[in-house]
Amino acid sequence: MAAAARGLRGLPRALSVPSAARQLHCSAVCLKARAARVRAGKGDKAVTYEQAHAPHHIGHRKGWLSLHTGNLRGEAGAAQRALEDAFLRRFLAGTFPGLLADEAVLKRRGNLLVVCALLGRALPPHKLYFLLGYAETLLGTFYKCPVRLELQTVPARVPYKYL
Amino acid sequence: MYKPRLPPSRRLGHGPTGPHVPACPAAGRRKAAVGCGARHAGTGSTRHHPHSSARSHMEPHLISSAVYMPKDTPTSRRHGTTLGGLMAIEQSPPGRLQLPLEAPRHGQHHAVLAVGRGVGRAGRYHRRGGAVPASPPLEEWCRPPAQRAERGAMAARRVGAGCWQRALGLSLSRRCRLPRGPDSYRSSSSSPALGKTVDNSQVTQEEIVLPRRKTWDKLAVLQTLASTVKRDPTAAHYMFQDDPFLMPRNAANSRLYSLSKESGRNAAKYIIKNFPQYFDKTFAEPNIPCLMPETLTPQTEGVSEEALRERIHLRMVKESVDMFDQLLQAGTPVSLETTNSLLDLVCFYGDGEPTPEKEQEEKGDLEESGVNASEQKAPKRQFQRGSQSSGPRWRENNHAERIFKIMPEKNAHSYCTMIRGMVKHGAYSKAYDMYIDLLNERHKADVHTFNALIRAVPYLKERFVERWELTKDLLTHMAQQKVQPTLLTFNSVLKSLRRCGGVGRTMSLFVLKEMEALDIEPSLASYEHLLSVHYKGVDAPSSDIISEVLNEVENRSFTAQDPDDANFFTTAMQVCCDLKDIKLAYQLNKALEKGDNWKFLDVDRSNGYWSKFFSLLCMMEQIEVVLKWYKETSSSLFYPSPKNILDLLQALDAANQLEMIPSVWEDVKQLGFSRRQDLLEEFLSLMSRDQHPSEIQQAFAKCAEEIKAVHEPAGPGQVPLEWTGSALGHVVVLFSRAGRTQDAWNMMEHFQKINRIPTDRVMDEFLNCAKQTNCPDEAIRMVKLAASLGLPLSQKLKSRTEEEFELSETQKKALESIKWDGDSSDSDSDSSDSDRE
Repeated sequence: MAAAARGLRGLPRALSVPSAARQLHCSAVCLKARAARVRAGKGDKAVTYEQAHAPHHIGHRKGWLSLHTGNLRGEAGAAQRALEDAFLRRFLAGTFPGLLADEAVLKRRGNLLVVCALLGRALPPHKLYFLLGYAETLLGTFYKCPVRLELQTVPARVPYKYL
Repeated sequence: MYKPRLPPSRRLGHGPTGPHVPACPAAGRRKAAVGCGARHAGTGSTRHHPHSSARSHMEPHLISSAVYMPKDTPTSRRHGTTLGGLMAIEQSPPGRLQLPLEAPRHGQHHAVLAVGRGVGRAGRYHRRGGAVPASPPLEEWCRPPAQRAERGAMAARRVGAGCWQRALGLSLSRRCRLPRGPDSYRSSSSSPALGKTVDNSQVTQEEIVLPRRKTWDKLAVLQTLASTVKRDPTAAHYMFQDDPFLMPRNAANSRLYSLSKESGRNAAKYIIKNFPQYFDKTFAEPNIPCLMPETLTPQTEGVSEEALRERIHLRMVKESVDMFDQLLQAGTPVSLETTNSLLDLVCFYGDGEPTPEKEQEEKGDLEESGVNASEQKAPKRQFQRGSQSSGPRWRENNHAERIFKIMPEKNAHSYCTMIRGMVKHGAYSKAYDMYIDLLNERHKADVHTFNALIRAVPYLKERFVERWELTKDLLTHMAQQKVQPTLLTFNSVLKSLRRCGGVGRTMSLFVLKEMEALDIEPSLASYEHLLSVHYKGVDAPSSDIISEVLNEVENRSFTAQDPDDANFFTTAMQVCCDLKDIKLAYQLNKALEKGDNWKFLDVDRSNGYWSKFFSLLCMMEQIEVVLKWYKETSSSLFYPSPKNILDLLQALDAANQLEMIPSVWEDVKQLGFSRRQDLLEEFLSLMSRDQHPSEIQQAFAKCAEEIKAVHEPAGPGQVPLEWTGSALGHVVVLFSRAGRTQDAWNMMEHFQKINRIPTDRVMDEFLNCAKQTNCPDEAIRMVKLAASLGLPLSQKLKSRTEEEFELSETQKKALESIKWDGDSSDSDSDSSDSDRE
């Protein structure tokens, strides 16, 4: 690749050479960040506070969804925590189908894992308690740590604005 | 806490042991002594001034801790003042701590006295939870010594008299944990130090009361923080989520939610059991065994004694019995211990299985018809007699008996197991026969067997005196066989005395005295049996046992020692309610708050307990107190029962605060009692009895409307409640008083549907209402109704209508034209009661 680059320097610019090198083509359009942003639409899409704010607002207008010490200096296990978080969110999405009103917040204190979830009221309370007991026991045995689920119910998803 | 400021030069040299310290085996052990002292690992040794004795012998009375004052160096000073070493203390006049602050002369050291003893004692006490070690001077500044401490004191003095040295040695060797800095103690003495210390020797003998060093256990901080937080009167039980949608509002929901949560846990356990391969990675350090999947399948294959033992260990009753049979058929002898443990297993489960589900699962797998039949019978019996026995009943010739019969050799353990199993499952006379066999074989029964037999006594004899005689016989046998009775023995005796009537009452007190004599502290179960003996089924209680029991209970924090402990509080509260004594109930509540006693009330029992308490309150206390308790405890500590609501309404009535009724009605709706006829009647009658100011009437009318809604078909599956005449009448009255004429008229029309007749009062009220709201039409309609029903009142009503209302021509004509076939049936309607209910 270095040889090819040297070779190219020698040639006049006007001649286009089928180059062996890959050239990076950066365009303004593709520079746009798309992570965790809800694009503005017609104004009929309700978004929650969490969804409405982009990731650069984390720490300013948003908090963190997952709280653990793995990212501190000298602490280990950040990757494992990230993996556990991913699994936990999918597990919750499957166990409480259609009920999660917002992203669950995961807090780790010592080896206790506290999952704070916001649910809708589509299921009657005794079914929610069934799922609660099931999730706590299964996750506890799976991750070998005590897991506590703290649920809060809202009548409907709370829109922050409409995009 | 007073920390003695030790003079810096204070030091105890390591010199030759002078005449002061006799035969000190501690001479060689001083280092160890220091080790002991400085660390006194939570023994609470006090720091005393260095003390030297000029006397020629040490008194045997020893104080608990001696602080050894190390040599005068910065480090030693530090040691002296902070942790302190150990110091010998002598006690010149017994009973006082002498602190002459004399310098150690001649560089003598001070042996660590039975700090060893003191420390040891203190240490032991500390392990037992902080009772005070014993010598007399310490008692001054210490917390009141417990009984054991006093006994310990006597023991200390006894020991001290001769063998403080031995005690010293013992304790010293037990704890040698001083961080042995090089400067902490020094062998040589230094004159400047001596010089300084000599000066201080002039200090007169003053008595300084030094507090013991406090020690805290690991949870002390958390417990203190917890004590600052009181119960939240708006929160439900801790097991529920703190969310208005998820919080149970009544007892039924509370039970439903807790059971749903438990069944969710069982579902998770089912998955873990069936797919253990996903849960068996052990990455927790240290490994947490309760979060690992359980291995419930036996590992050893084949037919052998180890396989049998493993199955017994895994509590697989049927497999163990099968394996045992196979072993016998194959001719391999099974050892006595294994047979005994198999017998234990079978007797404990009474031929059933540990969990009923397993039984039903295995029903399909069974091939042997005999066992099949026996196991099919067992679950049915369980359901029938679940409340009475702790399992299936003992059947003839079940596995236990069969195995027992074919055992080649039996020892005492076999007989004992059989007896206990028989008593547990209700075969009482067989148990007694087996006991006779045991005696014939000259074996000795153990204490658990005797407990079981004593429990079986009420089922063996009929008459009270005979029962007591049999109990006494068993106790005599126990004494003869040198079996030491325990708390459970006495609890069994008291339990049998419950069914001995008057004999029981007299004897129960003797049993308590016996317990005291044997130094066994009664548990809550003992008190519960005592209360039942004296108060249940007796109209006029003969003695004041309950106050004595409560005095005992409220000062102690109990631990669970007997399964019957859990019934104490509910029984005691029941007795308080029967005696109608609110002060005793308050005392009982205080007992509940002490220490760990709250643990004896689980959710169901707690509901019953507080429910009874609330009923008692409504009966005995002023309305403000009642309402305060109601607001604080209503949905958080217990869920009011219908009886509680009725009591509350009566209390409100007695205190003339009927305006609270609409709020009570709201609670009733939340509690789910809005369909109970008795409650509705009570509400309506109280509301409609008197006239009230208008806002209250409006509120009452709203309640009446909601009650009306209950009686109407609403939604699928909702069966409407049937109206009763009185209820209907009350509703009409309430509507009328609130001026809602149309609603009242609608209600009046219901009377015909239910074949009832409105009372005079109802009709009067309605007419009043019509007059106030100026609806002559309604009045006329009512007169028509009354006439059609042939009521004697209709004449009066008609005349009233004519007088009080301004009627138009048509209305007057309508009124005139009302024909009532009352003339002939006037006499009849006199007899036919219009106030039928």
